[in-house]
Amino acid sequence: MRLTVEDIGKSFPGVTALDGVSFEIRPGEIHALMGENGAGKSTLIKIITGLYRPDRGRLLVDGVPADFHSPRDAIAAGISAVHQERNLIPRFTVGENILLERLPRRHGLVDYGRVHREARRFLDMIDPSIDTRTEVRRLSVAQMQIVEIAKALSLEAGVLLLDEPTASITGHEADALFAVLRRLKAEGKAIVFVSHKLEEVTAISDRVTVLRDGKVAAAGEPIASMSRGRIVSAMIGREERVAEIGERDLRDRTAVLEARGVATALGHRDIGFTLRKGEILGLYGLVGAGRTELARALIGDVRITAGEVRVNGRPVAIASVPEAIRRHRIGYISEDRKAEGLILAHPVRSNVAITVWRRIASALGLVGRGAERRIVEPLVRKLDLKTPSIEQGVGKLSGGNQQKVSIAKWLAAGVEILIIDEPTVGIDIKTKTAIHELIAEITRDGVSVLLISSDMPEMITLADRILVMRDFALVGEIENSRRYEPMSRRIMSFIHQGAEGAAENEPNGPEAAHG
Amino acid sequence: MTATETLNPDPVMTVADANEAPARRGAFLAESGNLIGLAAIVLIFWVVLTSLRPGFISNFNLFTLSRSLAIDIVIGFSTMVVLATGGMNLAIGSIGVCAVMAAGFLMQGLGLPPLVAFAAALALGAALGWLNGFAIVRSGVNSFIITLASASLYLGAMLILSKAVTFNELPAAVADFGKLRFGGFVSPLLIIALAIGAALIVLFRFTALGREILAAGANPRAAELSGVPVGRVVIIAHTLSGALAGAAGLMLVARLGAAMPSIGQDWLLPSFLAPVLGGTLLSGGAVSVIGTMLGALLVTTIRSGLLVMQVGNFWLQLFLGVILLAAVMLDRYRGKVAERRSLGRR
Repeated sequence: MRLTVEDIGKSFPGVTALDGVSFEIRPGEIHALMGENGAGKSTLIKIITGLYRPDRGRLLVDGVPADFHSPRDAIAAGISAVHQERNLIPRFTVGENILLERLPRRHGLVDYGRVHREARRFLDMIDPSIDTRTEVRRLSVAQMQIVEIAKALSLEAGVLLLDEPTASITGHEADALFAVLRRLKAEGKAIVFVSHKLEEVTAISDRVTVLRDGKVAAAGEPIASMSRGRIVSAMIGREERVAEIGERDLRDRTAVLEARGVATALGHRDIGFTLRKGEILGLYGLVGAGRTELARALIGDVRITAGEVRVNGRPVAIASVPEAIRRHRIGYISEDRKAEGLILAHPVRSNVAITVWRRIASALGLVGRGAERRIVEPLVRKLDLKTPSIEQGVGKLSGGNQQKVSIAKWLAAGVEILIIDEPTVGIDIKTKTAIHELIAEITRDGVSVLLISSDMPEMITLADRILVMRDFALVGEIENSRRYEPMSRRIMSFIHQGAEGAAENEPNGPEAAHG
Repeated sequence: MTATETLNPDPVMTVADANEAPARRGAFLAESGNLIGLAAIVLIFWVVLTSLRPGFISNFNLFTLSRSLAIDIVIGFSTMVVLATGGMNLAIGSIGVCAVMAAGFLMQGLGLPPLVAFAAALALGAALGWLNGFAIVRSGVNSFIITLASASLYLGAMLILSKAVTFNELPAAVADFGKLRFGGFVSPLLIIALAIGAALIVLFRFTALGREILAAGANPRAAELSGVPVGRVVIIAHTLSGALAGAAGLMLVARLGAAMPSIGQDWLLPSFLAPVLGGTLLSGGAVSVIGTMLGALLVTTIRSGLLVMQVGNFWLQLFLGVILLAAVMLDRYRGKVAERRSLGRR
């Protein structure tokens, strides 16, 4: 089966996810789809599988235009997929999950004998050790991933899309998967393979397409013609104005936050770093590397099980978020502004003043509107926050202005250490620059920032030093020269080497960490 | 409507040069619009009832009305403070009757003066509410289930300890207080209820605690990450709810002149009706104290109206059920509009 994507465009509020993407998958090939986080890979997969509808452009199946309104349409057209998100029903058995939409029946009742026989057939292709009668919720993350793959195989579709299928499985299981993929390819199936792991891509695929910022950066190049370096440069490419962050001299600064040999209840191990006064310390890694979880541990939201954290040189044991804020002056800006960052239904005034209500309250616990306004209004001006009034509901502001509200609330609280998680996710490029300059500015006022980001240009623009995290451990620390090409190469090499190293040294590491 | 509105709020002004009035007036109008609508419905009921039965506005009926209104208001507040956190309290009737029977025992059994007995009973109500809040926060189980269980538990314990015997030899001062009238028909109970309302307005508008309760109700995760001790705030709201349930029970004791084990069993419906009619969001994060008082007024009016129209008590249940359903529909619609307005889309 041949699948052609022609000039596809797709926008979400504030983000152009795909902009004129064309792409072709031929029968009997394995086609790698690569790109950084947010480049548009998952959106493209979701369009091909009928989960999203494109704003423009079209899909052709064997040269015939196809219009998918739902995943069901895509499956009917012979396209099946393994998505990054899990789509299994925890309390159903493995067999039931694999054959979910078409359970074999006899006399109107489900024929369980056949369910398990058929499920067995597809499961055996990758991992014969999983029992089809086990409930899915009892499986490990890796086993669930294998069930997902078996489910996609069982559709016996002409086009198979795999979105990071190896992210949570071991090297051995991945090898079994690749053997199956090669066999399917020999049978004339078309396979799309999304992965961050360059080794896998070069080992298994025939051609590679690279997306960057929603556009095609390399279009179906034969893998033999693409060196590792060329793929990486296509993925990270450069343009757009970089934020002016000024001269930074951080010599002789004291350490404000130090971690030594820290392990957490979520599976971090031996985390060690030092954040200096007025510094922007970057924490880079792919989604799922454990960066947000580390931030949570530092603010007392996740238990630290070993090691030592020091704030301003003194060992601390932070038990709760309010304690982190009030006693140690550490604030955290979540990557998920809507769910965790802001109270959308409440006005700007409350969202900023929430951190200081207790401080500005009178002896009777009264908080005057005037006192709130005296704190909030100067910050609104300082950050150039665009809002008709401080009584405006935060939900009505743009993403960039919402992020300024988040920053304002921590400036109001007088934090000395600010952990910012993906500061510009979902924010347009112009505002992004303004947010970057703002972050640099607050560090000049003495705030120290731990910057979590999956956005490579952002990291190289802002951070003074960069820590690289993979599978809940730090795998590298680099002084940032702010020269894009060499820096991005070094960071990516840490991520890829980390992948091999982690897989060889600790076969169970990733599972333990995720479980 | 469109995404661009969300991204580019228009007109764009910084606070420095913006006129704040429009936004604030907008919010004020939206809230007062709802209150005016509710007041208008109450007014229509009063006009209709008075024209059908002139006795409806007799001093005697108004006095009866003011006493039951006071109780309905406080019952509504008891639920409202918990709704603010996005939770609910199904145990207010049980907490109320526990306070009632405790007060009865302390006065009749131990001969303590009414003021001491009432203070102790309020403390018991607060303690039972605290226990609810503690169990909810500690277990992480939904407040619906916890308070459903504790409602039965508290009631059962009360019945075992009191053997369901009414205390009807209370000090005369209690019943006398219940019969007191100001200006011909205003019960002091109503004045107490209004004073509690004023205190709650101050709490939710002007205190750090009240603001934290609303923040925790609107988005607990965001509140927690902003340094609000969400667990403690939820426990305090439940404690307050328990104290208010106790207060409503004691007001009934003053009205009846006796402490009866049957008190509180018909509170659940009116306790939700008053705040929900008044614009308190079931999802938490927004309360209307004045709205709750107006909602209670509507409940009281309907109850009293059916009485003067000599329609059977069976009809009351049906009416209140219909009204709660209508109010919940309205709440849902209002929530959708609020969301659409605040997100600018969806």
